[in-house]
Amino acid sequence: MNVKDVIIIGGGSTGCGIARDLALRGISHCLIEKNDFAAGATGACHGLLHSGGRYAVADTDAAAECIAENRILSRIGRKCVEQTGGLFVRLPGDSKKYRDAFLKGCERLGIETEVLSPTRALELVPSLNPALEEAVRVPDCSIDPFRLCMLNIVSSKARGGEIFTHHEVINIIKERGRCVGVKLKEKLSSSIKEIRGKVIVNAAGAWAQRIAILAGSSLPMTLSKGSLVVTNHRLSNMVINRLRPPSDGDIIVPNEAVCLAGTTSVAVDSPDNLEVTSGEVETVAWEAASMVPEFEDVRLIRTYAGVRALLNSESLDGRQISRSFQIIDHKNGLFSIIGGKLSTYRLMAEKLCDAVMRHLDLKRACLTAEKPLEGQEELRGYPLSDRLESLKDIICECELVRRSDVERVIQRISPKHIGDIQHRTRLGMGPCQGGFCTYRALGVMQETGKVSPEESIEILKEFLQRRFKGIRPVLWGDQLREEQLIEYIYLGILSMESY
Amino acid sequence: MNKGTYDAVVIGGGMSGLTAAITLCDAGKTVAVISKGDPVCCLSTGCVDILNSTDEPFDGISSLPFGHPYGLVEQDLIIEACEHFMETAARGSLPYAGSIHKNRHLITPIGMKKTTCLVPKTMEHANCDENEGIHIVSFRGLKDFFPSYIMLQYSNTGCSIFDASVSSTIGIAERFEDERFRETFADWLSRQHIPEGKIAIPAVLGIRSSFSIYKELSQRTGRTFFEIPTLPPSLPGIRLFKCMKQAFLARGGHLYWGSEIASVEKLGAIIEGVTLKNPGRVGRVQGRAFILASGSFISGGLFARMDSVQETVFGLPVYYPENRSGWFKDSFFSRGHQIEKAGVEVDSSFRPLADAPFKNLFICGSIMARSEVMKYGCGHGLAIATGYAAARSCEGFVR
Ligand SMILES: Cc1cc2nc3c(=O)[nH]c(=O)nc-3n(C[C@H](O)[C@H](O)[C@H](O)COP(=O)(O)OP(=O)(O)OC[C@H]3O[C@@H](n4cnc5c(N)ncnc54)[C@H](O)[C@@H]3O)c2cc1C
Ligand SMILES: Cc1cc2nc3c(=O)[nH]c(=O)nc-3n(C[C@H](O)[C@H](O)[C@H](O)COP(=O)(O)OP(=O)(O)OC[C@H]3O[C@@H](n4cnc5c(N)ncnc54)[C@H](O)[C@@H]3O)c2cc1C
Repeated sequence: MNVKDVIIIGGGSTGCGIARDLALRGISHCLIEKNDFAAGATGACHGLLHSGGRYAVADTDAAAECIAENRILSRIGRKCVEQTGGLFVRLPGDSKKYRDAFLKGCERLGIETEVLSPTRALELVPSLNPALEEAVRVPDCSIDPFRLCMLNIVSSKARGGEIFTHHEVINIIKERGRCVGVKLKEKLSSSIKEIRGKVIVNAAGAWAQRIAILAGSSLPMTLSKGSLVVTNHRLSNMVINRLRPPSDGDIIVPNEAVCLAGTTSVAVDSPDNLEVTSGEVETVAWEAASMVPEFEDVRLIRTYAGVRALLNSESLDGRQISRSFQIIDHKNGLFSIIGGKLSTYRLMAEKLCDAVMRHLDLKRACLTAEKPLEGQEELRGYPLSDRLESLKDIICECELVRRSDVERVIQRISPKHIGDIQHRTRLGMGPCQGGFCTYRALGVMQETGKVSPEESIEILKEFLQRRFKGIRPVLWGDQLREEQLIEYIYLGILSMESY
Repeated sequence: MNKGTYDAVVIGGGMSGLTAAITLCDAGKTVAVISKGDPVCCLSTGCVDILNSTDEPFDGISSLPFGHPYGLVEQDLIIEACEHFMETAARGSLPYAGSIHKNRHLITPIGMKKTTCLVPKTMEHANCDENEGIHIVSFRGLKDFFPSYIMLQYSNTGCSIFDASVSSTIGIAERFEDERFRETFADWLSRQHIPEGKIAIPAVLGIRSSFSIYKELSQRTGRTFFEIPTLPPSLPGIRLFKCMKQAFLARGGHLYWGSEIASVEKLGAIIEGVTLKNPGRVGRVQGRAFILASGSFISGGLFARMDSVQETVFGLPVYYPENRSGWFKDSFFSRGHQIEKAGVEVDSSFRPLADAPFKNLFICGSIMARSEVMKYGCGHGLAIATGYAAARSCEGFVR
């Protein structure tokens, strides 16, 4: 029978980080993720590797964790961190008092700052609102959440970690009141497996409460949705924050060829079926435009929403390790980890694994802060020069992804979902958001026999609906024009709706 | 009147604009067409949808909701317009088949059925039922065409793949224009074992001479072929556009291609001329009447801002659904998004409605309000009918 020391539920940054940490400590483990890596909050987040500046005034614990982890990740994850640097911009009317507290806070925490005149700031980021009063430079970075997850998984797999993506935990097996394993369902085939483990780690993010209930434990949480918008090109090469107490729509993060702006914060009951409203889009675009005026006219290519999970405070009862995230030992073989940030995922994993090691009565030190992430050399991405070489083979015109890139991914990982290919090639991440190339990529996929033609059409339909949901809130201007074209292609030319 | 003033200046070189322009040329008028770029037609299947939401399109038109622009075109005129189109296409060596009284169903690249009405003769035999034997001939590396999708739906289907050493539809079509290539292809085809009755081929049989290539191939191999229209860039759409453009030029029309309107010269309620943004040789074009056929959102005749919709050439008043959150339905797969109703409202003579400022401006095509081209499946049909009718109205005005 398949028995592991640790079963990890959730393939977000937290779960993947835990898998690597355990692997480096030589603990046998498996990870179960119901979709693809980074399918939850991790993939829907801003991708800002915080310098800590944002929390320097109101939440100094979190700020201290951020700057420490920022330095560690910059060292161990060179290839998935872009050293963009960040600016906190103060606009007319923004409090000077806050700025003073900000600088003082940063100084106390050891976050490097440099106060820039408007002229100097505009040299660095010409698209800034020229009316700015001043800007403060901090070591914010941009981080690719999907790559980060995959690189953590590389270490896990290399040391025998078993990874089940597209497998959902549907039950927790209990014997004499203790959690001893999980039941998982393969999403496409609906086949059921059982895996046994000594410890089960619940890193299911906003879904963690459901896992806890399966285990007969309680985990009262509050959920808050955050929405962000994606532009069709980079408006800034640096992270832009507003120099004021954190609020809606005050961060812009460059990522690959685009910028992400957000977020909002709206209480929700469920982490599924998130809708981004037109009102949220307007708030975010409007706030972003106050820092970078081009936001008023820029083409927004889609929206995303993710859910932050917060533990209800009454259930904390002193077990918290830090104010910014919580580890709960349910005393029945289940450990939950809630809250935190992408930026501090490694620290979260370290603390959780320390707790698990104590539980297993093992003593092996955490190595994740010293050892660089493995597999980064292959993750060079697909540099433009390479891609231009064989233009005739291009199947994604927006991001210049070749048929051979797609075939390589198919050979390597036998994907069952279009997202598996997208995340590994950037297929469909450009202005048309996969409207054209998804059909092609799926055609190639079914040609290789990895999915059947029927399955590939089902996947395509599901993709198109999901895509539409993300785009619908930003349908005006050029994005509306493109959408009408895509609609005509799938309904008018292919008659897909009758499938 | 100035020398060099056209009887009519058409803005927009799509199906509606070219139909209007050709109609006016046939009536002996001097006509210019200004177009900023290739029209939506080049992306289309080249088949003329008249009204897809019913089986009998011509009869169906009379039960469209009040306010649909088809309602402005008299029944006789719709028939006349379609006949005029069939004739124009046939004279341009792109003969069409079909009748406006009956829709037909084509196989799509994923094996579904697309309803349409008038089809190029290279697709005449595309009406197939699920048990009919079909053999698909495709090409190695073709990007947007995967025979297995069709084979899934049509159980008696076989498939052969030819290596044309190019992989884009346009590249292959270009090769079919070459006689030696056609010979090689026909020889190869004769050597394949093909028990099925009909041969389906993605629409790549040439660019300029598709019908004669199609006939020649049928004769050489003794088989029945039909083309399956592919995704954009789509050969049948490009052929149709080229054919219409050629018909216009052959009738002495003047084309200002790649030019956008920079400004409008007006005197009271009369438009006298327009200046072009990319002047090339001529910076100004003057006319006695103007026809606006600049299309809907895709072509940029309409532009949606965050909270409103604009007409981009003359700044005409536009009808649009007020609340942006209601512009689109929730499902990608349901037709009939509210935003499709956006457009310019016109009176029975195809002039912008009442309070609109211009007396010598006529409107046709997908820029018209409530045309809902996607919902009803009436793209080229409406363009042809309204282009023809608007030209008649304009002709009366400049007489
Ligand atoms: C809008 C937004 C923006 C953010 N921006 C930033 C930022 O810029 N920088 C930063 O540092 N942090 C940011 N955060 C916070 C950060 O995204 C999260 O704290 C972090 O990604 C959480 O990771 P996680 O692995 O705990 O959760 P998740 O990423 O949500 O992972 C949980 C996973 O569990 C899986 N799962 C759930 N149920 C099951 C089941 N039954 N079986 C199997 N798998 C299951 C889910 O599919 C999911 O993939 C942001 C958060 C939001 C919402
Ligand atoms: C992918 C796709 C497939 C389709 N398939 C079919 C089909 O199979 N059958 C069918 O019947 N219909 C189909 N349609 C719909 C059909 O193509 C259109 O409804 C119809 O062709 C519209 O014609 P039009 O003349 O109104 O406008 P358009 O074709 O949009 O032409 C407008 C022209 O005006 C020009 N223009 C715009 N603004 C300016 C300016 N300021 N100055 C100068 N020129 C300007 C544009 O460049 C363009 O050439 C399809 C549409 C799409 C998008």
